[in-house]
Amino acid sequence: MAVAAMNRRRADVLAALVLVALLLASLHMISAAVLRSEGLGQWFIPLLMFTVFGLILLFGLVGWNLWQLLRDYRQRVAGSRLSARLSMLFLLLALVPVSVVYFYSIRFLSTGIDSWFDLAVDSAMEDALTLSKLSLDLHKRERLKASVNILDSIEDTSQTAIALSINDLRAASGAVEMTLFTLQGKILALSHVNPDILSPMPADGGMVQQVVSGQDYVGVATGRDGRLLVRCLVLDRAQRDIVLQALYAVPESLSDLSGNVQDAYEAYRTRAYMRSQIKFSFALSLSLVLLLGLFAAAWAAVFTARRLVQPISDIAEGTRAVAEGDYDKQLPLPKAEDELRSLVSSFNSMTRRISLSRNALEQGRRKLQTQHNYLETVLGGLSTGVMALDSAGLIQTANRAADQILRVSVAEMEGKPLSELGVRSESLKPFVEHMIEGFDQGVREGRAEIALYRGGGRQVLLCRYSPLETDPGRVVGRVLVFDDVTELVRAQRDAAWGEVARRLAHEIKNPLTPIQLSAERLRRKYLGKMPLEDGIVLDRATHTIVQQVEAMKAMVNDFSDYAKPTQLQVEPLHVDEFLGEVVALYEGVRQTVSVQLAAPGRVVKADPVRLRQVMHNLLKNALEATGEQGRILVSSRLGTEEGDDFVEIAVSDSGPGFDPELIGQVFEPYVTNKTKGTGLGLAIVKRIVVEHGGVIDAENPDSGGGRVTLRLPALAQGAGLERGPRAEGENA
Amino acid sequence: MNTFAQIIAAIVLACLPSALLADDVEFQRIALTLSEEGLILLDAEIAYDLNDTVSEALENGVPLTFETHVQMRDAGAWIWEKDIIDHRLRTVLRYRPLSGLYELRNRQADESLSFATRSAALRALGRVVAMPIIERERLNLDREYLVRVDVSLDKEALPLPMRPMAYLKSDWSISSESWEWRLRP
Repeated sequence: MAVAAMNRRRADVLAALVLVALLLASLHMISAAVLRSEGLGQWFIPLLMFTVFGLILLFGLVGWNLWQLLRDYRQRVAGSRLSARLSMLFLLLALVPVSVVYFYSIRFLSTGIDSWFDLAVDSAMEDALTLSKLSLDLHKRERLKASVNILDSIEDTSQTAIALSINDLRAASGAVEMTLFTLQGKILALSHVNPDILSPMPADGGMVQQVVSGQDYVGVATGRDGRLLVRCLVLDRAQRDIVLQALYAVPESLSDLSGNVQDAYEAYRTRAYMRSQIKFSFALSLSLVLLLGLFAAAWAAVFTARRLVQPISDIAEGTRAVAEGDYDKQLPLPKAEDELRSLVSSFNSMTRRISLSRNALEQGRRKLQTQHNYLETVLGGLSTGVMALDSAGLIQTANRAADQILRVSVAEMEGKPLSELGVRSESLKPFVEHMIEGFDQGVREGRAEIALYRGGGRQVLLCRYSPLETDPGRVVGRVLVFDDVTELVRAQRDAAWGEVARRLAHEIKNPLTPIQLSAERLRRKYLGKMPLEDGIVLDRATHTIVQQVEAMKAMVNDFSDYAKPTQLQVEPLHVDEFLGEVVALYEGVRQTVSVQLAAPGRVVKADPVRLRQVMHNLLKNALEATGEQGRILVSSRLGTEEGDDFVEIAVSDSGPGFDPELIGQVFEPYVTNKTKGTGLGLAIVKRIVVEHGGVIDAENPDSGGGRVTLRLPALAQGAGLERGPRAEGENA
Repeated sequence: MNTFAQIIAAIVLACLPSALLADDVEFQRIALTLSEEGLILLDAEIAYDLNDTVSEALENGVPLTFETHVQMRDAGAWIWEKDIIDHRLRTVLRYRPLSGLYELRNRQADESLSFATRSAALRALGRVVAMPIIERERLNLDREYLVRVDVSLDKEALPLPMRPMAYLKSDWSISSESWEWRLRP
């Protein structure tokens, strides 16, 4: 591309130089045609036409270059403005002196040529010619008189006789030539000082006519040798019908002087006449040379400016390319060993280094990107939620597990404060509040287990937070790490209670039967043999032992029920129908048991036997808590939390309510305020509810009494209406 | 008219074909005769009509050189073959202010004639009497020859300063149409 442009530029230069050379040659030949005229005169017009055509061509070339410059200027091509300025400068530098020279040359020529001619010289030349004429007139009159006398002196009437005497007459008169001819022009006699000349100098018909009309003619003529002669034509007054022509040499001094005056006058007159032509010739030559000089200078100005600016344009173009990110740009080096070459070389060196740096940077960026992707993949693959906050507490980034655990799109909340999480999801408030509280208290590193009550049930998060340090000691934010340990906690608890049950079975239940049997054996063996009073004591004691052992067995069985893994037989269950059936069993009790069902047709997936156990436990607790006039309300309703539908079942009573101190732990084993019971009723209830994926809560409403509320995930509307085959048992 | 306008006008005029403008010289009579000595002679009567520009130049002492050009060539000759005859008769017409006469000078014979009037000088200029062309014996009697005669004002003989304008202005293109005929000797 660049080579082609360079070749094209060379061709342009060559063409322009050839054209200018041809024009110069043409001008030279025009000059030769005008000055020397040796066969070149006929080429004047073709040469002039060629020159004009060449000048038009050169003008077109200049115009084309200027148009290109203007186009580049308008398109803001790099370097075009500098080129235009330089071109204008060069043009002015060429135009002004040439124009001044042209103007003053034309003016000088015009005034100079005019100064050759003035009135005084005109008058002097005219006077000189008149003086010469007057001198010659005197001589002419004398010669005319002499000629008349000569003709009059001829007395012979015979033309032949006259002819014979002409030689003598010529010699006597001193004439150069003497001729006698008739009025019809027939020559009768001729005498010439040079006997070799046989023909007379002919007289003009006008002269002869003048003589014939009766008026003698005398005039000046130029002889064969260029000298002045006086020509006299005299008509014969004796009526012999002959005319005498006598040619007299003008005296040499007079001839020379008069000849000189005539030559000078002619030259002056001719020159004066040619004044305008002289001016025209000079003006034409000067104009052609001026135009050639101007056009050549204009072309050279534009060409030189563009060539000079080319490296600068290249650098500007290169700089623009670098600015646009093309760091591989290399510019052609100018040939001349000058500062521009050094500049272009430095530019190339700079772009080379930038390119190398860019490549290194790009490699680093790719490496960083790879590490970032690696880290993101690792974080994305973690089941632990990770969230980064900046120093202002604004969320910066989070992994996928964070979204899944918190059940919100944390990525959408980038740049927002952590508290926004609590606004988005009400159930996340404990998590958010705990974190913010820790931050506010200036806790550097913290760890907490936070229970959230979500629409789908209870969720336990194990949270840790620590400062985020990019450099040692430079904290730029915090990183939160949290795990959903709901299943883990449940499994641990199940395992703990399983262990309790196992030990009870092993350590307590096994000795109970021998104890009971031993007590019954003691009673049977010694009751009849002992005195009555002792027998009564023994009977009471053994009865107490047996009764307490039975009670302990029942307790151990409860533990076993609680601890051992259960097999749920879940099936779609119409909640309201189910509650109606359960409550119907309590129609005979002393208390008032009423229902308020507001989830018609909604179905939960539950094991009816286990759920019935839950309801009986709750109702039993309520019956025990209320007196004979007590009121118990079983209600249901539909609710939605975080997009999940649930069915809420509440058992409210008009009793004293839960002990405020224990209300947070009523579902824990062995937590009870009753004198009877194992303390496992509500724990088992909670376990069954949890096994169904639900949550349970106990509270003392402001209206009084106590209330236990449980939520079970509701199946989608219309799902599970038809009783299908019973689902396989699921491990809760 | 200023100088620049003159230049432009001159260039425009130069572009016009001179044939359109040249009609100042006419052949009134022209004849080739055979002399007793076996010479082929040319006789011609040529009418010159000088326009005002040329007349003005003549009155101001500018010598005018008229050239009578006679060519003879084989009618079947190729263009690059040399002419058999190429005669140029050059005659200078000028005005002599001292005598007030018009002078005709034959450059070949170095003869001069003076005339009181310009018309008489032009008549004498246009009179060609027994101008020898070629000996008949030099010609092949079986062949045909082309004879061409034309007359023109020689602009290259004008004074130097006048030539550019003379080349450019049609007033100075005084010439006749070529007189051609075929001769079988």
